[in-house]
Amino acid sequence: MSPTRTASLPLRLAAMALLLTLIQVGVVSEIPVFGVNADLSPLLVAFVGLLCGSTVGAVYGFATGLLVDLLLLQTLGLSSLIFTLVGYFCGRLRELRDPHAALTPLLVGAGAAGASLVGYSLMEFMLGVDAPVSLELLRQIVLITVVDAIISLPLWALVRAWLESALPEDPRRRRRRRRAYTTGGLSPLSRS
Amino acid sequence: MLVLLVVLSLLLLTAYFGEAPSGRLHGVQRAFLTVVSPIQNGANKALKPVRDTIGWFGETLSAKGQRDKLKRENNALRKQFVADQGEKTSLRQLQALYHLDQLGVGEYHPVSATVVAKSPNIWYETVTIDAGSNAGVRVDDPVVNGEGLVGKVAQVASDGAQVDLITDSSMGVSARLGKSTATGIVQPKVGEPGNLLLQYLPSTTQPNAGEFVVTSGTVASPDDSLYPPGLLIGQVSSVNEETGFKSVNVRPSVKLQNLDVVQVLTSSAGSHANSIAGLAAALPAGKGASGSDAGAEQYASTGSGG
Repeated sequence: MSPTRTASLPLRLAAMALLLTLIQVGVVSEIPVFGVNADLSPLLVAFVGLLCGSTVGAVYGFATGLLVDLLLLQTLGLSSLIFTLVGYFCGRLRELRDPHAALTPLLVGAGAAGASLVGYSLMEFMLGVDAPVSLELLRQIVLITVVDAIISLPLWALVRAWLESALPEDPRRRRRRRRAYTTGGLSPLSRS
Repeated sequence: MLVLLVVLSLLLLTAYFGEAPSGRLHGVQRAFLTVVSPIQNGANKALKPVRDTIGWFGETLSAKGQRDKLKRENNALRKQFVADQGEKTSLRQLQALYHLDQLGVGEYHPVSATVVAKSPNIWYETVTIDAGSNAGVRVDDPVVNGEGLVGKVAQVASDGAQVDLITDSSMGVSARLGKSTATGIVQPKVGEPGNLLLQYLPSTTQPNAGEFVVTSGTVASPDDSLYPPGLLIGQVSSVNEETGFKSVNVRPSVKLQNLDVVQVLTSSAGSHANSIAGLAAALPAGKGASGSDAGAEQYASTGSGG
C-alpha cells in the first residue's frame, strides 16, 4: 500500500464530508423534490463504507454524524449512532459480498436512506418526541428514500471518482483482475 | 471498533439529552457553530446561484404544472359555463313555450321536440327534430317556439322530422302587419339569407319600421293556411317603395341559429278551419257554403291569439 495513498484518504474523506454537508445545508435542503428534500449524508456514508470497508465506514459514519449534529444543532450523538451503523453495514456488505452490479449503488443508497430515516424516527420516538406514527410520516420516508435512490447513482460516481486514487490497493480486486486477465482472453498465453 | 463507536454515540446522546441547554455539550455545539458560521455563510452565498438555478428549474416546472392544472380547470369551467348557458337557453325557450301555451297554442296539440341537427349548408335552411310520426307529427305541421314561428315540417320519419325554417327558399307564409288587417306573403329575401320579405301588401297600407308581422291564418293556398293566426314572425326593418303592391323587409323574431326546443303544432289552423267549415255546412238552410267559408276565414284570421 502506498503511504501517499493512505495519507490522502482521510483528507479527501474529510473534505468530502465537509463539502457535501455544506452543499446539503446550503442547496439540497432548500430544493424540494416531490415535496421532500434529499439527504446526501447517509448516501455519502454508505458509499464510503462500500468503497473503504466496515471500519472506515463506521468511523466515517460517526464523524459525519457528529458534523451534521454539530452543524444543525441536532441532538448530539443521534446522527452519529445511525450513520455509524449505516457505514459499518455497508462496509460489511463490501467485505462479504463485494457486489459489482450496476444497480448496487442505487440499492445501497436506497437501503441506507430508508434505514437511516427509520432509525431516526425510532430514536426520536424513543427520545419522547410527541408525534404519532402517521401515514404522512411513512409517505415522507418513502419519498425521501426514492429521491435518495435517484441521486445515488451520480453521487456514487462522484464519490468513487474522488476517492479512487486514494483508496488502498485491495488484494481481492487485484486477484479478480488477474483472473479476468488469464481467463478472459487478455493473456498472451490464452491467445497462443 | 463498531461497539466502541456505538457506545460513544449512545454516551453522547445520553449526556446531551440529559443536560440543560446551558450544558457543556450544548456549549460545544454552539462554539462549533460560531466557528463554522462564517464558512457556512460564505458557502451559502457561493452556492446561491446554484440554488437559484436549480430552484428556477424547479419553479418553472412547478409553474408549468400549475399552468396546466389551471388550464384544465379553466376548460372544465368553460364547458360547465357553456352547458349552463345551453340549459339556460333551453329553460328560457321552455318557459316561452309554456307562455305560448297560455296564449292558446295548446289548442293545436303541440308536441315538444328538441333540435338534434341543423343543416350546415346555407342553401338549405333546415333543422332536424327528434319527434316524428310516432308523436303525431305530420308533413306541413307548423313549428314554433317561444319567440314565434320557426317553420314547418318538411319530412317525417317515425322518430324524427325535418323542418324547413321560415328562411328556407321553399317557404311562403300568409302574414299580416300587427296593427292592420293588410295581409301578404312572407318569403325569404333573395340574396339576403336570414332575412324575410313581406310582399303583396295592398298599396294603401302604411307600414312602419318596428311593426310586428304575424301569421294571418288566412287561406293562402287552395286548401287552408298551415299556420295558426297571430304567431309572431318578425319585425319590419324597412319599407320598400314600390308601385302597386307594397313590400317590407322583415327581421325574423326567432333566433334561428340558436334553436334548441321547439313545438310542432300537430293540429294546425287549417284543421280548425276545416272543422268549423264542416260545422257550418251542417247549419240550417240559408247559411250556405260561402257563409261557412267566411266563418272559417274569420275564425282563422281572428281566432285564438288573434
